[in-house]
Amino acid sequence: MTELPKALQEFKPNEASERTELQRRRDRWFRALCLAVGCSSIAILFLLLVSIAYQGSSSLNGTFLSASHDPENPARAGMYPSIVGSVILCTLCAIISLPIGVAAAVYLEEFQPKNRWLLRLHGLVQLNIANLAGVPSVVYGLLGLTLFVYMFQLFGKLEQNQVSGIDFWGIQRYYQFVTADDLAVIFVLMDESRESTLKIESVRPAFDTNFRPIELQVWDPATPQPTDPEVLGRTVRKGDVGALVEIYSWYYFRLPFGPSLLAAALTLSLVILPIIVIASQEALRAVPSSMREASAGMGATRWQTTQQVTLPAALPGVLTGAILAMGRAIGEAAPIFVVLGGNIAKRTGPEHLMDSCVTMPILIFAWADNPVEQYRQLAAAAIIVLVALLLVMNSMAIYLRGRS
Amino acid sequence: MSEPNTNAANSKNALEAPRILIENFDAWYGDFHALQNIGAKIAANQVTALIGPSGCGKSTLLKWMNRMNDLVPSARSGGTMRIGDLDILAPTTDVVALRRVVGMVFQKPNPFPKSIYDNVAFGPRLHFKISQADMDELVEWSLRKAALWDEVKDRLRKPALSLSGGQQQRLCIARTIAIGPEVLLMDEPCSALDPASTAKIEDLIYELRANYTIVIVTHNMQQASRCSDTTLFFLQGKVVESGPTQELFTRPKLKQTEDYVTGKYG
Repeated sequence: MTELPKALQEFKPNEASERTELQRRRDRWFRALCLAVGCSSIAILFLLLVSIAYQGSSSLNGTFLSASHDPENPARAGMYPSIVGSVILCTLCAIISLPIGVAAAVYLEEFQPKNRWLLRLHGLVQLNIANLAGVPSVVYGLLGLTLFVYMFQLFGKLEQNQVSGIDFWGIQRYYQFVTADDLAVIFVLMDESRESTLKIESVRPAFDTNFRPIELQVWDPATPQPTDPEVLGRTVRKGDVGALVEIYSWYYFRLPFGPSLLAAALTLSLVILPIIVIASQEALRAVPSSMREASAGMGATRWQTTQQVTLPAALPGVLTGAILAMGRAIGEAAPIFVVLGGNIAKRTGPEHLMDSCVTMPILIFAWADNPVEQYRQLAAAAIIVLVALLLVMNSMAIYLRGRS
Repeated sequence: MSEPNTNAANSKNALEAPRILIENFDAWYGDFHALQNIGAKIAANQVTALIGPSGCGKSTLLKWMNRMNDLVPSARSGGTMRIGDLDILAPTTDVVALRRVVGMVFQKPNPFPKSIYDNVAFGPRLHFKISQADMDELVEWSLRKAALWDEVKDRLRKPALSLSGGQQQRLCIARTIAIGPEVLLMDEPCSALDPASTAKIEDLIYELRANYTIVIVTHNMQQASRCSDTTLFFLQGKVVESGPTQELFTRPKLKQTEDYVTGKYG
């Protein structure tokens, strides 16, 4: 039997008791500190929820959910356009960013290049994605403003109430006239002159209010008025001036995008892309490599392996990340504010891709900033709706994660 | 289980027309020279066992036989390795076609998180365009061949991960033979299994020998002696002794081989 080392020989349980007592006391203190910190953070969250519920619950009713902003009467104001706007914006954002984000993650995880230079590019992309996830979102707002809203002014300067930029599809321009019997409105198709008004002199292609073609009659007021009410219904006075009316389809597309739904969705996509890429990468990394080996061992190509084995196995994780990213997108105010501005007067949700759009965070911001007390209560009610929506999305994420 | 057929005439005949021919083969991982100047002839319709202590390079050799080492960025090789007329190592060789001919079963059972049926149908769906009826037939044939049909025929749509470890490994074998390979590579296929499952897999290997050329890496000396016809003994990246299994196990030429097969080290 060898002799014990000196430190162990000198060790006497009784002598160590003072040290042990000190360590125990430290342990108790540390535990108390942790408990206090944990409790206070929960208490702050609880306080926040209670105060918002207290302020907002009285305003939360059917009118509030179905009406639009009313600058005169807070009792009749609601948040319907912003709910529709936020949901459509987020959906569009998901449609844009999910395929790109997942594809980027697949490239980074599954298709690591062997070539030395490509490998460097790969490393650079990886590093940048990690960095981009930490960039403040208002910076993305400014990027979106230059890139999507103005497009470096390559396609002409955008000005209010002016035909500007380049229209591609989904727009019809008409001049609006009142019929000779003053009972209806008809639309005359715009021709190549692209004037902002039209003084009508001769017969032109025209449409009724349902945009069915009609046979236009031009009546010179110097001559007797036609008597047949049917003819009168499609007759305009010669020399009348018609104002420009623009009719948009939902897929209306123009360059530059201007302060539009599409520009906002693209900007938000930039904000959440790094989140989606990183979450998808983690999900792909969690798929055991034995799955890839098994698939490759049976003669599957890398794409077949990715598509049929790796991606399906990673799907719950990818979806969890996607929903968390959507939660970020729906609550994001700063980039939307930069791209769309703070106007909350719109009475409907966005109706086409180039339409303006009100979102919940912008509405909350505007109401909370309002000097009238009732509007600030409305802001609290809108926060309840937003938090409820976020809660639903996060629960979905937790459910999906549990299934993986 | 009956003794493997080590009929000398048969064995000799097979060695004259080897299924896989390996000459002057070297393999590296980065700077590490994993295999040095390997020469071997893998006989058709026989079981060839690769034995040796851990890190001796036997798994590396196996992984080069269907180019699974392509997935390892630092892996390189030199020398000759051909199956029939096909040069396995040539960069121009279509690995997808190669892996259809040379299938692999891995150490740990690795079924896909799909149904039993979809696991077996995975390979055929990649390679063949066949009708549902033909696919059903192929799946049944593969599962019967892998001695699993009777155990799973009533639950083909159940997840493969609900099977026991031994069943999963037989499913992996069924999945591999469903694409009609000629060679089966097995990398310690029983090391994660209990003795009963191991016995079943060994029986299966013995039966599959009639239709396939099998190369098996194993750490289990009894397993090598029970189910292989030829054995290659590896030590530090070299084949130090090879020959008919019975001979190598009963009358080894080298002291190192005798020590290893009798369990004195390893």
